[in-house]
Amino acid sequence: MYDSDSDIGWTFYKDRPEWKDITPVPEDDGPNPVVVIAHSEKFEDVYDYFRAVLQKNEKSERVLQLTKDAVELNPANYTVWQYRRDILKALGTDLRSELDYVESVIKHSPKNYQVWHHRRVLVEWLQDPSQELELTGDALLQDPKNYHAWQHRQWAMKTFGLYGKEMEFVENLIKEDVRNNSAWNQRYFVVNNHFGWSDMNVQKEICYAMEKIKFVKNNESAWNYLRGVMLHDKRGISGNAVVTSFCEELYNNKCRSPYLLAFIIDICDDAIKKGESSSFHGADRAIELCHALATKYDKIRSKYWNYIGEKFKKLKKEQEDQQNNTETEEN
Amino acid sequence: MSYDDRTQLAHRQHVKYFMRFLNILPSSLSSHDTTRVTIAYFSVSGLDVLGSISSISLELRSRIIDWIYLLQVPPNKNNGDMSSCGFQGSSTVNIDLDDINNHYKCGHLAMTYTGLCILLALGDDLSRINRKALVAGVKALQTEEGNFSATLSGCESDMRFVYCAACISYILDDWSGFNIQKATEYILKSINYDFGIAQCPELESHGGTTYCALATLSLTNQLDKLSIEQVEGLKRWLLFRQVDGFQGRPNKSVDTCYSFWVGASLKILDMLHMTNYGNNRKYVYETQDCVVGGFSKWPDTCTDPMHTYLGLAGLSLIGENGLLEIVPALNITNRAYEHLKTVHQKWASELIEL
Repeated sequence: MYDSDSDIGWTFYKDRPEWKDITPVPEDDGPNPVVVIAHSEKFEDVYDYFRAVLQKNEKSERVLQLTKDAVELNPANYTVWQYRRDILKALGTDLRSELDYVESVIKHSPKNYQVWHHRRVLVEWLQDPSQELELTGDALLQDPKNYHAWQHRQWAMKTFGLYGKEMEFVENLIKEDVRNNSAWNQRYFVVNNHFGWSDMNVQKEICYAMEKIKFVKNNESAWNYLRGVMLHDKRGISGNAVVTSFCEELYNNKCRSPYLLAFIIDICDDAIKKGESSSFHGADRAIELCHALATKYDKIRSKYWNYIGEKFKKLKKEQEDQQNNTETEEN
Repeated sequence: MSYDDRTQLAHRQHVKYFMRFLNILPSSLSSHDTTRVTIAYFSVSGLDVLGSISSISLELRSRIIDWIYLLQVPPNKNNGDMSSCGFQGSSTVNIDLDDINNHYKCGHLAMTYTGLCILLALGDDLSRINRKALVAGVKALQTEEGNFSATLSGCESDMRFVYCAACISYILDDWSGFNIQKATEYILKSINYDFGIAQCPELESHGGTTYCALATLSLTNQLDKLSIEQVEGLKRWLLFRQVDGFQGRPNKSVDTCYSFWVGASLKILDMLHMTNYGNNRKYVYETQDCVVGGFSKWPDTCTDPMHTYLGLAGLSLIGENGLLEIVPALNITNRAYEHLKTVHQKWASELIEL
């Protein structure tokens, strides 16, 4: 990833007098290797010396420096990182400077598993998460959906209880991009771990999601969040009048977002399951909406909506049969 | 790349493309140094899906097989410890080490899995693997939480390696290194509020990790541990990933590889036929390089072996002409899977003879 030609002033390890005592160990790739990478001369030199010191189990300042060169050439080499950690421990090196170092590597390779793992181990050793929110915040400024950064952030927050200002952080991200699904996920994470799903919080989050949906109606992230929050609403997805009337209002105002129609179908489903179906939220409505989705508003998923529609037709038939049976019994 | 319904698979170019990767790679790929086995897997399995495994000469075939076996970490010579056993991803640390630092030379679950897949695709009889040791190597990597680390020496643990461990156990026909109950609990805990599945509990749902989780449940016969609500939710979440091709998360760009990850997940749930094949096919073909072969994640960007293999595997799932069928949960061809069954039979009969 770094071009050796640009390394002006670079001295190969084999030409360094202070490394004279080490015999480099070339890679043994067998007699007839495949998928051979034509590494640069610098890469081969550094790794020949890395193998040599690993074999000798030398843990020293100069090897610490060597591991730096090795991860610069390939930050994905987990053995080098592990060896580096073992040296840090053996030498009792100042871990604060190591934090700064790995931060600079993360800035270079923010989507690399090994660097984030190294960071996590250091934070565990130091039991000091004070820089983690800022570090991940910076990474998320570059790429608000960086999975590694979110994973590290959630880990630090959960392990050390750093929820205090997270809602504000999430709010800003959603404000910036209301379609940022990672930010919505983080919102759920904060409520789930910090605020809890009290009735009041559930209502608050429902209102928040509805507000964002009003702003951008065809946003799957917000609709998914609304549905997710309602898993905590004891009345279920069909029992919250604020939500059902919100949906109907959107519908009456000609909104035909597939997410809205799918949501109303789910309301119908829930109402039927609870035996509370009405002409408004029952099988007929669901069948009609499935048909609209399949033929007009979400044609790419037409087969799926027909399949869901068929389910409701069956339900409807069962309901009717049941009704007939009851009537026969009554007679 | 322009597209119309007559767009064809650049079959010959893709074969050449994979053959090049099997041979030699430029120094710009140095960051893949520890994962060369995966590049070999994409190439060999890619040729297999193309129905062109015979493009690999007998000489090259035995070279690949020998090279993979060279990467098998044997039990500790002195004390017989097998916790480091597995395949390494390359020979970067393929050196003799003393007991004191032996743990630096260890298998990696993704490399063991893809290494075994290569051997199967090439028709090797797996007679040179140390089954017991590989199983012990898997067992050593399952965490308290139920997921798996990739290696013994300092690695993260997540859903990807749960999947690799499941595939290895399935291929070795030995689940004694894999606690199914614990892994299932981990998977169920990683189901999100939108019913997608994440890398670990509470993270964002993701097409790749959803595949890893569902394939694991399928290989371990645990799909019935999902509630009806979860299954229906997963179906919806997965189907909503289709834009034209598939995206990995809501509101993210479409990417060729999700035609496989999401496609195979849907296939496992018997729902792939509910997707729109035409749009999916069109997108994947837009990322094809007809001149030098290969697929990229987005149109007019750089191709790579992973997206090339997964693009082909995704097309295979929807029945593209000229491609071999894929077993969705193992991500190998049906042809390689049939070979695995004969290996299993051989192992079973050896057991009876004992």
